[in-house]
Amino acid sequence: MRQWRNVLFVLIFLCLLIGCGAHRAKRDLIVLLPDQNGKGGVITVTTQGGSQILDKPGYGIEVEDLNKPPVAPKPVEEKEVNDVFVPALSALPDRASRFILFILYFEHNTTKLTHESSDLLSGVQKTIKSRNSNEVYVVGHTDLVGTEAYNVDLSSRRANYVRDLLLSRGIKPKTLFVSFYGKARPLVPTKDEVPEPRNRRVEVIVR
Amino acid sequence: MNLSKARNLFVSLATILILLSMGGNVSPVYASPTIGTVQKASGMAAVVRQGQTISATVGLEIRENDTLRTGPDGSIGVIFSDDTLLSLGPESALVIDKFVFAPREGKFSIALRMIRGTAAYLSGLISKLAPDSAHFETPSASIGIRGTKFVVRVEGK
Repeated sequence: MRQWRNVLFVLIFLCLLIGCGAHRAKRDLIVLLPDQNGKGGVITVTTQGGSQILDKPGYGIEVEDLNKPPVAPKPVEEKEVNDVFVPALSALPDRASRFILFILYFEHNTTKLTHESSDLLSGVQKTIKSRNSNEVYVVGHTDLVGTEAYNVDLSSRRANYVRDLLLSRGIKPKTLFVSFYGKARPLVPTKDEVPEPRNRRVEVIVR
Repeated sequence: MNLSKARNLFVSLATILILLSMGGNVSPVYASPTIGTVQKASGMAAVVRQGQTISATVGLEIRENDTLRTGPDGSIGVIFSDDTLLSLGPESALVIDKFVFAPREGKFSIALRMIRGTAAYLSGLISKLAPDSAHFETPSASIGIRGTKFVVRVEGK
């Protein structure tokens, strides 16, 4: 009987020493939240053991160890999010809008805007005027079809086309800063020679 | 003697002219540009820059390689120049390893490294313009950010 009691003491001692159950493993927790539009973006969580995609707001991923793959996304109770993250979340500054971004898309191998993007132009014009902006970046890109030199030229024509459209809408030339990068900076990475509509674009960044 | 003086003068002048002609490209390392500002700070909250601890107050400018740090009752909220928002809860530390937002040059990059504590993040323009150039590291994982809002907890040692 006394022997058993000793064994028990030893077990308790070992538990205290190594943390036995009561002590949770150290875990990183990453939770995706809805943004102000109620939408969530996409984040990928990668360890040396593997990778998980998190694309549902309110879901979280736990990472126990850098050698293990991240645990598959699970819903996280709002209460848990609040318990853990309220101090951090309440320190988050108010939404900033020092810049407004418009992305205008083009038809394949042309300086012709898609219909949706043509419709965006008056919004671009209004934004520049209402912000009284004197700093607007107009940045041209292409997808990865064709040679580098050809695409640098195409991206230049696209950017200058948008510049001309804005000038014709009464934006002052000195507020517009044009640059272009050909196929060097795709928004959606693809292999060479892959057509990708989302890469045929001009970014208009309004300060 | 006079000749060598004249030559020295010429060399100095030439150097100045070359430096001037390089325009704004000559910037000493220590004057790294402002990449954001502190918008909220409460309790023990500080910015550690080159070994010096600066108490965080609203309006304090943030630079590349700064570490943000909070004590048991502290929190800090920062806004970056691309409109990215970042905040830390108590007992937290995070290093800003990299921040580049240069629309004119088309260069965009953000790399944050969380050491411990809790953080909230709302992405700005960099995630939209260069989705593969926005990274958030924890001691055990790397988070790629494609335009979103998320929170992270890292349980320190």
